[in-house]
Amino acid sequence: MVVDSTARASDKTPEPRLPMSTIELEAKGIVKRYGPLVANDHVDLSVLRGEVHAVMGENGAGKSTLMSILYGMQAPDAGRIVLRGTAMHYRSALDAIGAGMGMVHQAFKLFNSLTVWENVVYGMEPTRFGFIDRREAARRVAALAERYSLRVDPNAVVAQLSVGVRQRVEILKALYRDARVLILDEPTAVLTPQERDGLFDIIRNLTADDRTILFVTHKLHEVMAITDRVTVLRDGKVVDRMVTAETSAREIIRAMTGRAVNLTVEKRPANPGAVVLEARRLTVATDGGKPVVDHVDLSLRAGEIVGIAGVAGNGQTELIEALTGLRVPDGGMVSINGVVVTSLDVERHRSAGLAYIPEDRATTGTALAASAADNLAMGFQAKPPLSNGSLLDAGAVTAHANKLIERFGVKIGSETLPVGTLSGGNLQKVVVARELSHAAPLLIAEQPTRGVDVGAIEFIHGQLVAERDRGSAVLLVSAELTEILALADRVLVMFDGRILAELPAAEADEETLGLLMAGRVGEAKLTDGTEAA
Amino acid sequence: MSERSVRISRLPRIPAVPLAIGIGILIGGLLVLASGGDPIAAYREILIGALAPSNWPNTLNWAVPLVGMTLVAALPLRGGMVNLGGDGQLVIGGLVAAMAALYLPLPGPLLIAASILCAMIASGLYASLAAWGETRFGIPMLISTLLLSYPAIGVASYLVGFPLRDMATGLAQTRMIPDAARLPTISGPLNIGLILMIVVAIAVVFYDRRTVGGYELRMRGQNAKFAGYGGVRLASQQVKVMFASGAIAGLVGAILVLGSLYRYQDGALLTPGYTWSGLMAALLAGGAPLGAICAGLFFAGLQTGGFAMQRETAIPRVLTMILQSVIILFLAIRHGVGRKSS
Repeated sequence: MVVDSTARASDKTPEPRLPMSTIELEAKGIVKRYGPLVANDHVDLSVLRGEVHAVMGENGAGKSTLMSILYGMQAPDAGRIVLRGTAMHYRSALDAIGAGMGMVHQAFKLFNSLTVWENVVYGMEPTRFGFIDRREAARRVAALAERYSLRVDPNAVVAQLSVGVRQRVEILKALYRDARVLILDEPTAVLTPQERDGLFDIIRNLTADDRTILFVTHKLHEVMAITDRVTVLRDGKVVDRMVTAETSAREIIRAMTGRAVNLTVEKRPANPGAVVLEARRLTVATDGGKPVVDHVDLSLRAGEIVGIAGVAGNGQTELIEALTGLRVPDGGMVSINGVVVTSLDVERHRSAGLAYIPEDRATTGTALAASAADNLAMGFQAKPPLSNGSLLDAGAVTAHANKLIERFGVKIGSETLPVGTLSGGNLQKVVVARELSHAAPLLIAEQPTRGVDVGAIEFIHGQLVAERDRGSAVLLVSAELTEILALADRVLVMFDGRILAELPAAEADEETLGLLMAGRVGEAKLTDGTEAA
Repeated sequence: MSERSVRISRLPRIPAVPLAIGIGILIGGLLVLASGGDPIAAYREILIGALAPSNWPNTLNWAVPLVGMTLVAALPLRGGMVNLGGDGQLVIGGLVAAMAALYLPLPGPLLIAASILCAMIASGLYASLAAWGETRFGIPMLISTLLLSYPAIGVASYLVGFPLRDMATGLAQTRMIPDAARLPTISGPLNIGLILMIVVAIAVVFYDRRTVGGYELRMRGQNAKFAGYGGVRLASQQVKVMFASGAIAGLVGAILVLGSLYRYQDGALLTPGYTWSGLMAALLAGGAPLGAICAGLFFAGLQTGGFAMQRETAIPRVLTMILQSVIILFLAIRHGVGRKSS
């Protein structure tokens, strides 16, 4: 176990990289138990004023628990929080906010039908004669945005804003309450590379103003790019503390996983076979508006991985819903293995050969209150060995669950426990285990590693490549460019409901894809092998 | 601080049912006391009325329709669906059973079987109409099941008031059904309806625990989106489950008409309020069949005990309704607390 060297160092000799540093926030001996699981096991964290401090760890390492304790959403079973030298006892997040904490959650907490300023001042509205002073409120929000170069129109309605701008609204909300310490939970998960760079500029502005950033992430290159120090958690314990400038991505991975991880995926060239999935002029309309999926043509062959890149919200979700039978398309045709399944239910898609890892493991991919055994049985319940078609064999259900839990390394005490208790990565493993064990000719994997730790990412990537090599057609939808670049044999870029371009993997790079994802076809250097639609 | 808050949120959880029953008994007792009665005597009479061996037939006779209507509500509830149309389905079952018994030219046992079968099919079809409306046209079943009850009750009332009316009496009721169509009795008021209901209850529990359909229904109740994504055919499942639910209501109607009333009488099936007591019992158990059956039995005991108490003491039967309501309210508090802290 590594001792807290930095905290002690600041008492005696100042650290060379961060002179004059004072401790802004400290967590001492934080313990949090959920039943038999110890989510935080005597965690010590020490964050210096004005630094960007990364908190890293695999899923289930205890990052989210620690953040929710620091933000007052949960009370620790033991240990204390010291903010600017004062011991804090939060009764709720409101106490923490009052003390100068701010948090931008992974899923934004905004009123979509209200304007930016309304969202920002909510709960702390400037008033005049007892009424909300709208002009003053908008003025204050504009001034705040100006000060930190957060480009936002205070009068815009949130629903019309892009994800990147919404995130700025969240940051403004925290700053309006004068957050001195800002927790960013997986802030780049939904951003394009360009938006991500914009966020990093904002972070630099904030730290220049002596504000402190706690940066929770899985992405190593971002940690290397923007943070000053790193605290690594594993199994609820702090395993390492590092100064970013003095460490490397490989060392951080070793600390997180206890082993060196191969970041690139080994794969042989694709050997595409017959067409497995075909979509023609597939269209999903919205009420009154323009189609969210606009005449998409798509064909996917056995033995290849096709990646769909795009910023979230450009029709990928609806396209996949239409391809899998979760949604009835408004036009066009879908066929799987030569069977036309347009407008049929999911069961018909599945029996034609579909396996599907959905985008949202908690609301679609699993039933959180149901046991792991029940969750893993879904899709297998009506055929041997789990049943004879009408009667379930309870023993076979248990055996099936235990086999998958073991093979995919799901960390769960027993197959009878509800999966709602699992961490994000383990829950994702439940979904991946179930879908891959179908050994179906078509696998649609939607954001298969979102919010999943490095170890699990490596594992899932390996499994996807193995599926391809087995002769399966894999359609990979990801907002994560590195994932698309590492896995896909062909890349389709989706923008505004259409397939904007198709690139062979060899010609796809982060910059070209980033420009295409932003819809800027003209600026992307497209070669002859690339088709712009 | 945290340990205390954990303890507070856990305290009412484990003993919730006994606690709610205890509080209900306490409040009921205070009410009796305030009105000048003797609570001890009241509760003694309820207990004797419900549980004394000589009163078992009465309690069981009350429990047959109540547990039946509990299953009517519990089966869809297991899959997250609500059937509020028990009244209409019950009435259709009763009326169809009476008509089949009166007009089908069949010999004894066959006539009984045919009457029951017709009642179940008619009620099942009527209930699945609501399911079809939701899957095909998006009419929420919560509303349509309830609203479809009124035309069923109204039309049945008209039929027995005019075309099918027994001219020998001045009441809105059908003629008495022939002896051959009456359910054989077991002892006292008990008839083979009890056995039929036990078989149905066992079948529902077995379906829930051991069959593919039961698994798919439970998964739908846990997360309908997950079930649909996993390949459960939600639309046909909804229609089938509602058919089964309605068919059980039809069976209850048939048992009442063929086993106790021997005719269809306007209003007679609805006055005891089996549908709503059953719905409450099902809600208490969250749709879990075995728990719902137990809750239904408990309510049945409470209600027959109430009749006994009213006979033996001056305390009105409404006390047992108060008990039932208070118990449910306190259990509902428990559910609210549980949801907040989790």
